[in-house]
Amino acid sequence: MAASKAIMRGPTIIKAEDDKTRQLNKNTLMAFSGEAGDTVQFAEFVQANVQLYSMRNDTELNPAAVANFVRGELARSLRSRSPYTVNLLLGGIDPTTQTPHLYWIDYLASLASVPYAAHGYAQYYCLSLLDKHHNPNIDLEQGMKLLGMCTDELKRRLPIDYKGVLVKIITKDGVKEVDFDNDKIVRSA
Amino acid sequence: MGSPFDINGGACVAMVGKDCVAIACDLRLGMQALTISNNFPKIFNFAPSTYLGLTGLATDVNTVSDLFRYKVNMYRLREERHISPQTLANLVSSSLYEKRFGPFFVSPVLAGINQTTGKPFICGFDSIGCIDFAKDFIVSGTASDQLFGTCEGLWEPDLGAEDLFETISQALLSAVDRDALSGWGAQVYIIEKDKVTQRLLKGRQD
Amino acid sequence: MADRYSFSLTTFSPSGKLVQIEYALNAVNQGVTALGIKATNGIVLATEKKSSSPLIDPPSLSKISLITPDIGMVYAGMGPDYRVLVDKARKVSHTGYKRIYNEYPPTRILVQDVARVVQEATQSGGVRPYGVSLLVAGWDEGVEPEAADMKKDGGDSPAKPAGKTGGILKGGPSLYQVDPSGSYYPWKATAIGKHATSAKTFLEKRYTEGLELEDAIHIALLTLKETIEGEMNGDTIEIGIVGPPADHLLGYEGVEGAQGPRFRKLTKEQIEDYLTNL
Repeated sequence: MAASKAIMRGPTIIKAEDDKTRQLNKNTLMAFSGEAGDTVQFAEFVQANVQLYSMRNDTELNPAAVANFVRGELARSLRSRSPYTVNLLLGGIDPTTQTPHLYWIDYLASLASVPYAAHGYAQYYCLSLLDKHHNPNIDLEQGMKLLGMCTDELKRRLPIDYKGVLVKIITKDGVKEVDFDNDKIVRSA
Repeated sequence: MGSPFDINGGACVAMVGKDCVAIACDLRLGMQALTISNNFPKIFNFAPSTYLGLTGLATDVNTVSDLFRYKVNMYRLREERHISPQTLANLVSSSLYEKRFGPFFVSPVLAGINQTTGKPFICGFDSIGCIDFAKDFIVSGTASDQLFGTCEGLWEPDLGAEDLFETISQALLSAVDRDALSGWGAQVYIIEKDKVTQRLLKGRQD
Repeated sequence: MADRYSFSLTTFSPSGKLVQIEYALNAVNQGVTALGIKATNGIVLATEKKSSSPLIDPPSLSKISLITPDIGMVYAGMGPDYRVLVDKARKVSHTGYKRIYNEYPPTRILVQDVARVVQEATQSGGVRPYGVSLLVAGWDEGVEPEAADMKKDGGDSPAKPAGKTGGILKGGPSLYQVDPSGSYYPWKATAIGKHATSAKTFLEKRYTEGLELEDAIHIALLTLKETIEGEMNGDTIEIGIVGPPADHLLGYEGVEGAQGPRFRKLTKEQIEDYLTNL
């Protein structure tokens, strides 16, 4: 079974080719947004710890375990002197059941398992599209098409140029970057 | 941004019946007016007939439920028995008060049947652990004002398990329909002495 | 400077023994005998109260202590060590239990907590093991429904001893011994201290299943009589019992649901009454 969870990213104005994702282990990928500096710092911190777990135990944590670990670290940070301001999307394939999982985590460390999610302004433009067109049995091809509808909508409605998106897909074989047509021109009505 | 209790939204209610208790919650998780998930249960099981509902800030719903899972598991291993609803109530109270000057933003609701006495037990808490021992019903969450009204109107003493299910379901659904931050389906537990029934209510999805 | 001496004094001998603990047991075995007997409806703890001088005011000496309203304790060995353990047991029953659950710990939980304190003294740096063995007696309410017991009694199954057998689930009386090593054992009846061996032989002969508290007190006094060195009277004997709730000890009445302590010490007069009937 092919998993179909695309994770998107919108870069900053300073850099047009930024990768706002980190691969945590063979089958989990985390996308992040939020306070500059906090994001990469926190993402690479959990990435290091999840990879350490894999090396020590010669086994991969499943996405649910990774999500709860990440949430725990973010929740701990929330009540510390200087909390991380990071919003996360965490997608992955459970290596034992081969089922896809997507988790939505905000900077308050609220954790929710969801069929589709977004952070930032993208939420307001994309969630209604996803509400309408997503179904539980959606495959990768349809998923990519739906992602295209989302980016089209962002281009149509967002007043800023977010320099396109970088798309990675997670399947049972791992994480890979895929080509995505960012040059398509979408005009506002 | 308003109170931390109102960011994510959610509602929970517990009721006493004749030899049974019920506890129900909505399924919404939101950020202010935006709904993030319509499958975010707020009721957690801690012993065969003991359930704890948590409304308030979603991150603290997660943190507090994880904390009590740990504490109750340790209790069960140490004492080789399940925790009684009354004992859990005192554990919840003391654990929340421990954070008196930096509280968890949750309003817990506890419902269960004491396996020794066979008697139903419900209670509610404020975020720093003050226990509200009620004989009839407990409400919490962003729809608590509405729930007080619907429960006051629908609840009556000594309801049987089926009637209690109807009562709590109508009370919750009517209340959350009048609250913008709660709803999107509901989960209901009917707890009898040796039987627990869990039902999923679809509710309005808008 | 202090950390230079904070290595553990209790270290293994080449044969695998911890001789410091054996020395602690020797201290216990030189101590005044104490005994405990579990009955169906309670427990008795008894010991001799030996005073080194006739000038000592006997009521001021106390070797049996209340830990929680339903749990009491007696010792054999070093008195000062015992008082430290009583303080710690009382403290941990609140900090580790009542302040969390708003109820007192079951006997086994308290025994484990005390045993942990004792064990830690065998592994920590800069301390010596406690020179006492304890007998802990307590009553637990239990969590299994009362009705289940009634059914068993109603059936015509082979005659079972009436009443509860103790433990967290069933409830009822339980009697534990805690040693300087930190080990603990549950007993129906046992003795610790100088004449423990002969007292236990005596108890083995006199103990029967289905014993009632009054019989247990009687046997306790008989056992003590076998080993006692001085005279036996209300001043030289100390008895603590776990029995029915003593509501008269509450200090108030008319409060619904209030239950008096099950553990109490017998007065001089009560002990003398038992002695005259011996």
